[in-house]
Amino acid sequence: MQALKILVVDDDPVTRTLLAKRLSKEEYQVDTAQSGVDAVRSIADNYYDVVLTDLMMPGGVDGIGVLETAKEHNLKTEVMLITAHGSIDNAIIAMKKGAYDYLQKPINFDELILRLAKIQNLKHLMKNASDLRLAMETTEQVSSETIQNLEMTVAALEERISNIRTILQRAGVSAEERISMALVG
Amino acid sequence: MSLTTPGNISRNTSPNSAAPAPKPELKPIPGMRKTVKITPAEVQLFSKYIYGLCGINIEASKSYLLETRLGRMLENEKCDSFTTFYHKIKSDPSKKLEHQMVDAMTTNETLFFRDTNPFELLKHKILPEVFDRRMGKSGAIRIWSAACSTGQEIYSIAITLRELLGPTPTINLKLMGTDISDAAIKQASYGVYNKFEIERGLPQERLQRYFSPSGETWRIKDEIRSMASFQKFNLMGSFASLGKFDIIFCRNVAIYFTFEDRVKLFEKIADVLEPDGYLIIGATESLTGVCPRFVPKRHLKAIFYQLK
Repeated sequence: MQALKILVVDDDPVTRTLLAKRLSKEEYQVDTAQSGVDAVRSIADNYYDVVLTDLMMPGGVDGIGVLETAKEHNLKTEVMLITAHGSIDNAIIAMKKGAYDYLQKPINFDELILRLAKIQNLKHLMKNASDLRLAMETTEQVSSETIQNLEMTVAALEERISNIRTILQRAGVSAEERISMALVG
Repeated sequence: MSLTTPGNISRNTSPNSAAPAPKPELKPIPGMRKTVKITPAEVQLFSKYIYGLCGINIEASKSYLLETRLGRMLENEKCDSFTTFYHKIKSDPSKKLEHQMVDAMTTNETLFFRDTNPFELLKHKILPEVFDRRMGKSGAIRIWSAACSTGQEIYSIAITLRELLGPTPTINLKLMGTDISDAAIKQASYGVYNKFEIERGLPQERLQRYFSPSGETWRIKDEIRSMASFQKFNLMGSFASLGKFDIIFCRNVAIYFTFEDRVKLFEKIADVLEPDGYLIIGATESLTGVCPRFVPKRHLKAIFYQLK
């Protein structure tokens, strides 16, 4: 299965580099952005499965702004927020706005990897369901055309047979004439 | 697949093996539910029971459906065999378990505007014809969604009507949805759908026009909801109380019945259809050999049926 494509957004270069390194090691495809503004630009140009963003960032676009942009661009993008210890209220606001989850600083990498694995699982299931649906719809469409054609053909043949039967049963006409009339009609 | 070891497996009574080799114990896989196995006799018992309740025909080859669909109920009711479960359902005077079983056994695969063709047919062919014919006559135009599941079909019909007639139609319309499942009827009459149900078949524009978000769910607006009424109804029973309909949707439900029951069903449908009424069945269904009273007619990519 395709590895998740993740955008890491953090204005702190140390955290950003560390996150990118650890996630790349886990074989995720990682891009980084050094500010909210930078992230908005990246999201506009690329699709990400997951955006992992710091909540508090300077420069006019914070984590909530990144979340809103990501969701506006593609509802399928899951956003995880990184919050400072003690700012849970903001994290809850973010969850209400559609964030997938939040992590508290200092980041526990094992926890992060677990959450990402869950997202991967969910995406896999959703893709599976949508593939199945597509397959079902295709099958249904093709078989419905066949069935409908057969339905119309059989109905036409039935009508023809019933006409022939009426002609063949007609009184006062010789058998030969009836047969030739039936073959024409 | 069962991970339980049948209780009698170690009782090896073969005279040749004095000391039967111990069967290696299957370790349960964490998180995998132990399923209660159904015996062939129990398959028969339940098939007959479910058939009697709702007409769904469970072929012997599909008996796994009983295990997968009823397994959760068995667990909730703490029953360790299907026989125990059977007696528990039978002895429940409130019939709550019986209803739950029907809910679990019925397939509620539906979506808004499922297979767009019938709705195009409705809009461009059937409704204009019905309106023309009914002009100046009293009495409502009656539309029935037989086996309406969670309401998507009848609401799709209501939306089609609303778009055709505007907010204040002068035509008297009666839309009825029926289903065997209590849970489905309940959801249909609330008109509340989750994100996944709403995503399917509904373009943004219609979603925003006819639904209001409420928390994580979407609720169909009152102007559409009030157009339809719902009731529980068993297609196996008598249709005498229904009256006549101008348009009947009976899609993808007869496929769960035996051939004989399908014949009976469409006979009854023919009885409650107005002489110039319209019947629409599922895109992959056929009435050939089922009901000679209907004749198929084609309009663009869709087929509908009328009485001969």
